[in-house]
Amino acid sequence: MPQGIGKIKIRLPKTIRKGQVIAVKTLITHPMETGFRTDKKTKKKVPAFYINDVSVYYGDTLVTHADWTIAVSANPFMTFYLKADKKAPLKIVWKDIKGGVYQKTVQITPQ
Amino acid sequence: MKTNISIAATMLMAPAALLLVLGVISPWNRVQAATQSEDTIEELTPSMSYEEYQKRYEKYYGDATARMAEEGNPADFLLDDGKELAGTVAGSKGKSCASCHGKDALQLKGKATDYPKYNADLKGIMTLPLQINICREKQMGAEPLKYESYDQLALTMYIKSLSNGLPIKVSIDGPAKPFYEKGKAAYYKRRGQLNFSCAICHVEYAGYKARSNLISNNKHHADHWPSYRLKWGKTGSLQRRFRGCLKNMRAKRAAYQSEELRNLELYLTYINNGDLIQVPGMRM
Amino acid sequence: MKKDDFSHARRDFLKKTGFASVTLLSVSALSSIIPSGNLKVGSWLGPGEAEAAAAPENIRDKLKATFGDRKVKMSDVTMKVPIIAENGAVVPVNISSDLPMEEGNYVKKIYIFVDENNDPFIADVELTPANGKAALSLRIKMRKTSQVRAILETSKGALYGTNKTVKVTIGGCGG
Repeated sequence: MPQGIGKIKIRLPKTIRKGQVIAVKTLITHPMETGFRTDKKTKKKVPAFYINDVSVYYGDTLVTHADWTIAVSANPFMTFYLKADKKAPLKIVWKDIKGGVYQKTVQITPQ
Repeated sequence: MKTNISIAATMLMAPAALLLVLGVISPWNRVQAATQSEDTIEELTPSMSYEEYQKRYEKYYGDATARMAEEGNPADFLLDDGKELAGTVAGSKGKSCASCHGKDALQLKGKATDYPKYNADLKGIMTLPLQINICREKQMGAEPLKYESYDQLALTMYIKSLSNGLPIKVSIDGPAKPFYEKGKAAYYKRRGQLNFSCAICHVEYAGYKARSNLISNNKHHADHWPSYRLKWGKTGSLQRRFRGCLKNMRAKRAAYQSEELRNLELYLTYINNGDLIQVPGMRM
Repeated sequence: MKKDDFSHARRDFLKKTGFASVTLLSVSALSSIIPSGNLKVGSWLGPGEAEAAAAPENIRDKLKATFGDRKVKMSDVTMKVPIIAENGAVVPVNISSDLPMEEGNYVKKIYIFVDENNDPFIADVELTPANGKAALSLRIKMRKTSQVRAILETSKGALYGTNKTVKVTIGGCGG
């Protein structure tokens, strides 16, 4: 739907207490082509093009890692949880099968 | 030819079965009675109260859409791009929305609540997307945006979102009255191969099912557009939704921002007066 | 036009609608029976034996290839999915569990499977104790009406699972 690939939104709660388990909501624009779809104009199969690897770093440690397939919806959305016990950057990296790397970092500052 | 006939036969039987299920072929109902006289159409309230409909909705669909909206609406990207577009200079006069309406067009706050409304130049009903395009042509000297295109939806969404949280207050006094009556007639008019009207489903049979979908009550139909819709997997406008229904009725689909659809939008928005605007919406 | 054309069309129509109502009935009847206790992953193919026989070949193979002959416990996992999806390309799935997330005893991986997809494996997510809670929300694609399965694997090697049916109604009445 949105134009362009790799636009990212990360949502965190407004206030974070130390040690609180927070929901991290992420949204990225990507077509997630399955490889089964036929282009209506050219009548050719659209080749598969999807994100297959998501990594989440909190500080320097890898906290969550996801393997995706073609069966994740276009403009993928994922919510996961995180225990906010230190002041550190949260970096999320998406990688697609054509070598595209999209990343965004947000700062987590528990009060 | 042979296959054509058998397909046609199947297609004719399927709607007939659907009509039976819905009870539309049954001899008489309120909507039919209300539209007997041609001059005035009696205003009907849906057979099922909104509360009862909501109960059924929750039982049937659960909290899936509410949860999704809370988790993140894909239409948020349009909102950001719309804000950018409002500040983008376009056209021969070197202006943007922001040139007249202040930074990020913030002076338009609350201005979307009384749309659609009567416009003397147009001698008809002005809707928000139409107003934006007229503004672009006259004030900015720019190309009008194509309806349902990404930019058009984004800009409309951003400008409407400036009225978020405010109640809809559409007026039908004075010159808007005849257009309201036309819109109402369009709402109650039977059309298409299935001979449905908007009122048949959303007044008489609201809360019942048609092809495994729960038919919605006519409340809260106008407060969240443009909205992200799961069925489309995309964002679209109220008029796209109208056209979707018309297609399912096997009726002729009026063009975007045609007089008929604008009148219908006026009627529908008026009966939803008082609902709080919530853009972008997220729905089934 | 021969007389045959119409009778053929009608037979076809009856066959299709009759079949549809039978499958709808059976799916709704079966989905109300939730399996409990320990099951071998290989035999966890649906809420009843009838469906196990009907489950497509590749989900059995996939589960067996991923988990071998380990046992899956049908508890401790909550999955929220819509009953009806008008568009199979966007089906919101929400999985959560209250299983402990502490050093040495935590949920290591969450798997999602959809039986009727060409490739039943949708996604897996590896978690660590730093997550604090074993939960996940994702939007997935479904080819047609099917079981959605969620499996949680703990660091001690235990498996927990749940399954639910989602009806994909392409061509529903919503325009």
